[in-house]
Amino acid sequence: MSLREQEGLVENLKELIIRTLRLEDVGPEDIVASEPLFGEGLGLDSIDALELVVAIEREYQVEIPDAEVGRRAFASINALAEFVLEKGAGQQASDAVG
Amino acid sequence: MRFKDKIVLITGGIRGIGAAICKSFLQEGAHVVVTYSQDQDQARSFQKELGPGGSNTTVHQADASDFDAMKTLFDDTLEKFGRLDILVNNAGIRRDNLVMFMSESEWHDVLRVNLQGTFVCCKLALKPMIGQRWGRMINIVSPSGITGRQGQANYAAAKGGVASFTKSLAREVAKIGITVNAVSPGVIETDMTRSLPEQTLAELKQAIPMGHFGRPEDVSGTVLFLASEEAYYITGQVVRVDGGLT
Repeated sequence: MSLREQEGLVENLKELIIRTLRLEDVGPEDIVASEPLFGEGLGLDSIDALELVVAIEREYQVEIPDAEVGRRAFASINALAEFVLEKGAGQQASDAVG
Repeated sequence: MRFKDKIVLITGGIRGIGAAICKSFLQEGAHVVVTYSQDQDQARSFQKELGPGGSNTTVHQADASDFDAMKTLFDDTLEKFGRLDILVNNAGIRRDNLVMFMSESEWHDVLRVNLQGTFVCCKLALKPMIGQRWGRMINIVSPSGITGRQGQANYAAAKGGVASFTKSLAREVAKIGITVNAVSPGVIETDMTRSLPEQTLAELKQAIPMGHFGRPEDVSGTVLFLASEEAYYITGQVVRVDGGLT
């Protein structure tokens, strides 16, 4: 996957998070891809994680079966992108970016 | 038709309170998926009893505490209807005994069906309901689980556990448009209560401020209210439908 495609996936993930969690005052540019999503950083909580798990699983057909996998996947947007790519489903999202 | 085209899954839904809940949802336009554990004859007669209205019902034999069996049923339901709106955990068994004489299997069986069964079905309902940002879970508990009752320590522990589980899960999903409540029917005229000894029934009647047993419809009315749009701001509650017993 090219750098451009990876960047496309990162942007898609940012938009998915904003849409899923209805983060009204947050734009994609406000989310730093290397910063933690939970606690500090974007300040999401564990209940937000429930919605994100369902949204990511639906969008990318990957499974987040337990909290440990979730912790690794949701460490940051970059970690989430790596997780989606590792599971082999990132292509679909980056295709949309072209 | 408050529940037109809503998809409802009820465990233990072919007799007594469960059957009344099923019929009430059907009358209000829902599609109902019902489970039962063993009694195939009862399942057949229940389907016959539903008559033409039964076309919106599917009846499945499944142990509510068996994760794999229930996952298959949930997956099939989601594949067929594309959603799951309402879950009613009604499947329950009793194995009454004084604690000193209670076998491990009497303890484990009751905990497994009543408590684990509720956990399994709520867990399986979560992802579809979170995806919809709408859902209603209603768990049937018992006065035994609220006040305790001699000879029912296992059942009381299980139902008390379900009540606490209900309150905890309600907090986990409150932000997502999903409510989780429990209904505690008092002494309701069903096969389960009819199996109690005469003397126990007489004592129970005496303890009920209203002076009589409830009807399955009294419980189903409360369940349907909690499942309705009107009840969106009620979550984590144990609603007692018991004539003032507890």
